[in-house]
Amino acid sequence: MSSKNPRERQMLESIYSMIALVFILVTCVDLCDAATVVDVYRLIQYDISGVPFGSRFATLNHHAGSLHFAPGADLSRTVLVIPVRELNITFVKEYISQRKPLGGLLFLLPQMFNFGNREAATEGKYQIREKELMKTVLAELERLLIHANIPYPVYFAFEDDDIDAVLADVKRSDVSGQPATATTGGYKLVVSAPEPKKIVSPSITNIQGWLPGLKADGDPNQLPTIAIVASYDTFGTAPDLSVGSDSNGSGVVALLELARLFSLLYSNPKTRGRYNLLFGLTSGGPYNYNGTHKWLRSFDQRQRESIDYAICLNSIGSWDNELWIHVSKPPENAFIKQIFEGFSTVAEELGFEVGLKHKKINISNPRVAWEHEQFSKLRVTAATLSELSAAPELLESTGGLSDSRHFINETAIVRSIKLVAESIARHIYGRQGKNIQSFADNTSLAVNSPYIRSWLDLLSKTPRVAPFLSKNDPFVTALKKELEDHTREVNVHHEVLDGMFTLYDSTKAKLNIYQVASVTFDLLLLLVLGSYLIILFTFLVITTRGLDDLISLFRRPPSRKVKTA
Amino acid sequence: MTLFHFFNCAILTFGPHAVYYSATPLSEYDTLGTSIKAALVYLGTALVKLVCLATFLKVSENDSFDPYQELLKALIGFIDVAGLYFALTQLTHRNISQNHKYQAVGLGWAFADSVLHRLAPLWVGARGLEFTWDFILQGLEANANLVFSISLAALGSLMWLRKNKPKTLIPIIYACAGIVATMPSITSYLRKGLGWHFPKVVGFELFTSLVMAFISWQLFSACQRPSS
Repeated sequence: MSSKNPRERQMLESIYSMIALVFILVTCVDLCDAATVVDVYRLIQYDISGVPFGSRFATLNHHAGSLHFAPGADLSRTVLVIPVRELNITFVKEYISQRKPLGGLLFLLPQMFNFGNREAATEGKYQIREKELMKTVLAELERLLIHANIPYPVYFAFEDDDIDAVLADVKRSDVSGQPATATTGGYKLVVSAPEPKKIVSPSITNIQGWLPGLKADGDPNQLPTIAIVASYDTFGTAPDLSVGSDSNGSGVVALLELARLFSLLYSNPKTRGRYNLLFGLTSGGPYNYNGTHKWLRSFDQRQRESIDYAICLNSIGSWDNELWIHVSKPPENAFIKQIFEGFSTVAEELGFEVGLKHKKINISNPRVAWEHEQFSKLRVTAATLSELSAAPELLESTGGLSDSRHFINETAIVRSIKLVAESIARHIYGRQGKNIQSFADNTSLAVNSPYIRSWLDLLSKTPRVAPFLSKNDPFVTALKKELEDHTREVNVHHEVLDGMFTLYDSTKAKLNIYQVASVTFDLLLLLVLGSYLIILFTFLVITTRGLDDLISLFRRPPSRKVKTA
Repeated sequence: MTLFHFFNCAILTFGPHAVYYSATPLSEYDTLGTSIKAALVYLGTALVKLVCLATFLKVSENDSFDPYQELLKALIGFIDVAGLYFALTQLTHRNISQNHKYQAVGLGWAFADSVLHRLAPLWVGARGLEFTWDFILQGLEANANLVFSISLAALGSLMWLRKNKPKTLIPIIYACAGIVATMPSITSYLRKGLGWHFPKVVGFELFTSLVMAFISWQLFSACQRPSS
């Protein structure tokens, strides 16, 4: 019986050691969740005449860190996860302009900007002031990122529960002073994306719709033409998120509605005017209106001379009571005066103001700030109607992240359409100065708000960076079909974007977030397991063979040689 | 790093078998042949069980506990016992004492079980970047399974190989053997019916394995007393 007691004690000891093992392991690493996979969108990468801009890399394989890192810590192998809501723009500016080494950047956008997620997009959770603040912060961030050359990957993601939990964890460990490196565990962010390649021969597609006017019998002269033009493509920090609701979704919607209204008027020969109407949806807007330039060159001299004037629409979706008409011919010019007076009379009747801005064209400067400048270079009278009072810089106001559906005012678009329609109608039918509302509300020619809203919704969900739109892109086909509904003849021209701009692909990827255990944890586990096996071994030897056998394992066998004295 | 984790979990899962073999007198009497034969018998038993499960069992859509299905699984689990019976009695073993026979058979049985059920998930899963506790818990489960197999082999040898047993102990022997044989059904009931999490189930298995080992050891020594 007494021999049982040491054996029982041994068994109890092994139970205790096993419990101790479990406790040691539990204290090392917190119980983890499964790996998370998030959709991420890369910062745009482009060259202007060989000068690189944007983020130059796509693959990511580093530890996650937050903004609470210890000052002076080495971040060259860390990805900083920054929610845009807590963005400190000076910090980012400093990091980028001083070219400090960083493993990567991951910006978290509020769900409000996620056009793919229907419930989040329509949430009215945010107050107007918060939205405006977010918009200004995002706009500044975009301006900074687009014009910088960043030698590490920069990605955008939308906030959701998983990634918020990961960020909270990372912040907690950063605050407690443990930097996340290879030896202390933490989260690892992995994006395996293909190496970004140049997009060869990016295609831009111009769509034009022709609505012929009433030609009097026996009149050999060509009818004059009025053109309404809007560019439909965008350029932004994240090409897969650049939906450009205002720049220039509002312009496209206005053009489609104008086409619809005038097609109604022109369907009856009695109300058909003696002007042809040309509707142009051009591409290549952000790239100095390259598409418009090529489109105009495709016309022959006679057609171009027959254009009386062209109205270009650019960003007419979020103004309150002032619009601007930008021209390049001097305001004293008779044509310009006539057009401007027509517009301002109608505007007065509708209850808002229209101002005139003149910007001279500088032939030596390749920068084309407004679409009408391309017309003016070919001696066609043109003007741009816009809510912007100053000419945008290169790649500015081209529909970036901050340009979302929430900031659009539908009534502004409706009023702009009324303005353009009324002014053009009065010019066509010779009713200048007379107060006749052709497109009044509750008539058959009233501006159709649901139509505008549905097209605006579609535009706000479609990213439209031109080099990423293929020739047969469904959106381009949809625009073509819509114009075919309203106009008589539709032509589609495919061009190649000029060589000054080169864009790179690899814009969307999946981010894998792994919770990793540290090396010390593995070593500790090895130690514990080793000791467990050794204990098990000694226990079994003692219980089955006896203690003497155990000791004999360690004692060397007695030497056979006998030393001679 | 993650290969390191795989190595850790592998030695947790398969180490005790090797340690058991080398520490006990099994290695002295060179009973490796017996263990290998027992492993092969386990392989055959597993194939038969698979065929029966595929034929008789319905695939359930949800993860709930279906008593009828579980009963069927338990009945099929008795094929395990039949296999062990075959390994203990029908195979020709070298002249080794009964004491060592059941240990060798139990060891071979448990080793085959670990390799078949746990090697593949370990190889595929533990090498990934993501860290989970699952593989360590699986290793602990393998340890518990080793103890269970040896206890079951001991009880089996008591039931079928020992002729003179004290009358009072016979029902206890059969009861314990029954419990150990139906242990898989009990654990699946705990996981699905009561909704216990994996760590809790593994803890329960470890505890019961030690208890059953103790009881079967007591029974074995009690049966050995009349003959000594």
